[in-house]
Amino acid sequence: MVPAKYNVRNLRVRWVTTLMTVVGTGLVVWASVLTFGLADGLDHALRISGDPLDLIVMRKGANDEGSSNVEQKVAKEIANLDGIATDKSGQPLCSSEFVTILTKPRRHNAGTTNLIVRGLQDVGRSLRPEFTIVRGRDVRPGVNEAITSVNMAERFENLAIGEKLEINKVLFEIVGYFEAAGSSAESEVWTDLRDLTGARRQAEALSSINLRCRDEAAKTALLKRLRDDEQFKLDAIDEPKYFEKQMEASSTIKYVGYVIAVFLTMGAMFAAANTMYAAVASRSREIGALRAIGFSRRSILLSFLFESFLLCLLGGLLGCLATLPFHGLSTGTMNGATFSEITFAFRFGPSVLLQGVIMAVTMGLVGGLFPAIRAIRMPIISALRET
Amino acid sequence: MHTLFYIWRNLKRNKLRSALTILSVGFSLALMTVLNGYTAMQDAWGAESEKYHRIVVLNIQGFSGMLPIAYVDRVRGTEGIRAATPYAWYGGNYKDEQMPFAQFGCDPKAAFGVWDEFSIDPKQLEEWQKTRNGCVVDRRLADKRGWKIGERIPLKGTFYQFDLDLVLCGVWDSPKNTDSLWFNWLYLDEGLREKNAQGTGNAGTIFAQVTSSDATAKVCQTLDERFASSDNPTRTQTESAFFQMFADMAGNVRAYIFYIGLAVVFSLTLVAATSMAVSMRERTSEIAVLKAIGFSRRRVLVTILGEASSITFLGGCLGVALGCSFLELAHRAASQIVPLSVSEMLGPWLAYLLASAAGIGLVSGIVPAVRAAQLSVIDGLRRVV
Repeated sequence: MVPAKYNVRNLRVRWVTTLMTVVGTGLVVWASVLTFGLADGLDHALRISGDPLDLIVMRKGANDEGSSNVEQKVAKEIANLDGIATDKSGQPLCSSEFVTILTKPRRHNAGTTNLIVRGLQDVGRSLRPEFTIVRGRDVRPGVNEAITSVNMAERFENLAIGEKLEINKVLFEIVGYFEAAGSSAESEVWTDLRDLTGARRQAEALSSINLRCRDEAAKTALLKRLRDDEQFKLDAIDEPKYFEKQMEASSTIKYVGYVIAVFLTMGAMFAAANTMYAAVASRSREIGALRAIGFSRRSILLSFLFESFLLCLLGGLLGCLATLPFHGLSTGTMNGATFSEITFAFRFGPSVLLQGVIMAVTMGLVGGLFPAIRAIRMPIISALRET
Repeated sequence: MHTLFYIWRNLKRNKLRSALTILSVGFSLALMTVLNGYTAMQDAWGAESEKYHRIVVLNIQGFSGMLPIAYVDRVRGTEGIRAATPYAWYGGNYKDEQMPFAQFGCDPKAAFGVWDEFSIDPKQLEEWQKTRNGCVVDRRLADKRGWKIGERIPLKGTFYQFDLDLVLCGVWDSPKNTDSLWFNWLYLDEGLREKNAQGTGNAGTIFAQVTSSDATAKVCQTLDERFASSDNPTRTQTESAFFQMFADMAGNVRAYIFYIGLAVVFSLTLVAATSMAVSMRERTSEIAVLKAIGFSRRRVLVTILGEASSITFLGGCLGVALGCSFLELAHRAASQIVPLSVSEMLGPWLAYLLASAAGIGLVSGIVPAVRAAQLSVIDGLRRVV
């Protein structure tokens, strides 16, 4: 085997070419990984929104909360069903909620988009992952107050603490910011259930019921009970499944990421091949000498492949590293299922970074293959004779 | 002329290297063509809807807000309005598919007046106007689904608690694939009333055609002022602004494309520069000979810059061709996602792409070219490569 040191030193000797190729592949990997991180952040926000023991109860036929409605009296019956988990004070963890979607302007003239406003009671808070108020305070019912997340306050007009959001000519004052582990709840504005239905002039209206089951067995029983009841005309959906559907509807970013990655990987592959051809051409005498002192063709092939692999891997790692400053940066887009804004943070987990490294390795190995083959097909005599 | 010929011969000297650089630039610019094609498509779509001077009336709270059906007549009675129709998004499921195409409840007597660029057989139109549960669809949608006139199209309501049992009365031809189905708004409303369900009397949105594009701004203002103090204030905008609103929902796509583009351009500059630098290193003594026989510095500079930018320009041509074919294929395969064919998106943006391709070459050639121009003849001839 040709020692790896040989390749490392070669890369160092021609450091300008090496650097340019590394930075070139790095940029390409960076652009793709950035897009993957965007898609992964969106998926993550939706994935952690679903608790395996939670059910969302909606009208049969409704695709999401926004298009569902549930009768007040049915909601009361459901809250009394057996199998629903209870909190410390013995209250069932069953939350009747009203969801309305408003078209509101984003800050910085970034157009208007749909905003989810949810009216709910206290119990709804314990159904969201790690709900906490991080600034200001929670809403008091009856006086038209609302809370939202820091991200939403930054993205939308009239959503910062002290500002007032208009809903059907009723002004809701923002009194606090909350967090919910980065779940999709952080893309909503919350207010009191009755304040919201009042403003919307749909006094008794409810959109959906969010409930937590005591355990798996209770969940199966409740699912069956709710779905089969002819009177209710309701459908209960596993929360994780509900959000999985939203992920599918918002998967465009993922496909855009793949298109970007495929085109750019092809482009970078040819660039790597170019660099390696030049490396082989300028080193024909060395190759001849290596052969003459007894290195086999296979070890020379492997050596050049390794060099190309190393070159692109460096680029890939650089590209991945360059995405890290974006980790946690919050951004937003349209949720394809609710047609409303969803905010989330870029996420560069191991699987996303691995995709970037795989891209780089593909570039290196495929791009290096043909130059390496050329290297071993050179006859020793003429290789040694080359100037 | 001689210089061009010399550049061309140099390009052909190391065919493999030139080809690889061209391919590398080509694939990356193909991506840029596809991404920029998306924005070009939106612009073309906006410009297209500008032509028909239509306006859209929406509840100021957005799509979930109520727009009383009585507003349609009030819009019709406004000066400068030629035709108006309710346009209610039904969003139903067809068989097991969730909202596989768009469905709108509208006024069969007015719809083809508002979209007067759509054409339909007058007999089919008359049939639709007579049939309460009739519907008409875009010809491309009917072809895709294999629907014939008289076909039953059942739609399950998601928002509206009334399922539609529609009969296909006709198909229309439109300049673009709308992937839509239209049914009679009254059929839905009566069904809802019978079941005592919510959502009755709601026009959803109102689409109207204005007599001339000059009148558009004034009509929008008049309408919004008229409804401002009612229970349901409105936001009226041009059709293109309405579509722009949908585009805006996805977020700042243009900025995103710009940054990806910037990364690609930098990366390509480095790729092209590497290739040029290697070429030049091999040719040091040759350049010294050129200078020795009397080539001026300027000419050497121009030759090398010319070579660098021709390579990337050729790559740009390949890239634009690849990207356009990709877009065209996407248009043929899924015309509801890529509604325009490439021929309709052509514009200066393609020239910008080609120019930036050549520009990348020019920038990447600067260092090797200047070094070659400043090369001293003696050193160059002496150097062993």
